[in-house]
Amino acid sequence: MIVAQRKTIPELVEILQDYKKILVLGCGTCVTVCLAGGEREVSIISSALRISAKLKGLDFEIEELTIERQCDNVFIEAAADAIKRNEVVLSLGCGAGAQAIAERYVEKPVYAGLNTAFIGILEERGLWTEKCAACGDCVLHKYGGICPITRCAKHMLNGPCGGSRENRCEVRPDRPCAWQLIYRRLKNIGQLERLKKIEPPKNWEPSLSGGCRVIVREDHRI
Amino acid sequence: MKDTPLKLYLFYCSNSLDANRLRQSFCENGTDELTAVSLPCSGKVNLLYLLKAFEKGADGVLLITCEQGECKFIEGNLRAQKRSESVDAILAEIGLGRGRMRVVHKKNEGGIHQIIEEIKSLRNSLRGQR
Repeated sequence: MIVAQRKTIPELVEILQDYKKILVLGCGTCVTVCLAGGEREVSIISSALRISAKLKGLDFEIEELTIERQCDNVFIEAAADAIKRNEVVLSLGCGAGAQAIAERYVEKPVYAGLNTAFIGILEERGLWTEKCAACGDCVLHKYGGICPITRCAKHMLNGPCGGSRENRCEVRPDRPCAWQLIYRRLKNIGQLERLKKIEPPKNWEPSLSGGCRVIVREDHRI
Repeated sequence: MKDTPLKLYLFYCSNSLDANRLRQSFCENGTDELTAVSLPCSGKVNLLYLLKAFEKGADGVLLITCEQGECKFIEGNLRAQKRSESVDAILAEIGLGRGRMRVVHKKNEGGIHQIIEEIKSLRNSLRGQR
């Protein structure tokens, strides 16, 4: 899922300071699960904004609303009236959701209240880790299901780098060495032979480095 | 400004504190306004309850929990502690500084006097910040 974090309150106040009627719009999908932009977080951030506004002498009138998903036109419709009656929308959706709202309501300022961080999973309560960089050319089958692009700090396809200490990455000692994990996994599933094959340099063209991506499914288009 | 009455909120775990005894202690607070909110467990409190108190003009908020290891719901007081710390951090972010949000783990032998002392301590701290 997409994992995001809220922006700081001072940053949000700076973004919103020229406005009075503000819609804080939450999303009921990924950002609810990562506790960043769901209904509860909408209330919390709205309350914090009101406190901050009072301190700074700003006159915020904040409306709170959460829709099921911000990245889908069908669900965005549910916010139409609220968006119409406010001057600005502070989207607590991910970057995709915030932009979807902005594209639908072209005459309304729509700002992001979150920093969208990564595609990842909930590893344990309150801890999310990055798993996928959306590189567009998945090679998980070659590495026992552990992505060297995301989980190796050096993005090495032919690791290890030799710098790890006690199974920890030398670049990020708070993270395990991905190549240690890859070795262990391949050994467990009897595929260590894969490590003998040298992978060529990665073609990054299918990733964001190749430009903004589009996927078309003609079988679903009329 | 220093003499303006303080507005304090006190969220308390009903398993840790007797409401009647708590009301008796109100008289010792002088002109300050103290609002008490009972909880079935301190773990019921969430960030929004605490922030709403500040939104309504609270100068300080106390959260009374059971002693460590004594929570009837096992980890409610631990959750309460973490959430309070989160609110304290948000208040610091906003510019209100730290220390307005306090957690008190009521000791079994402390009784109501421990709470009264904590309220006094918070009041003095808030007056000092004014």
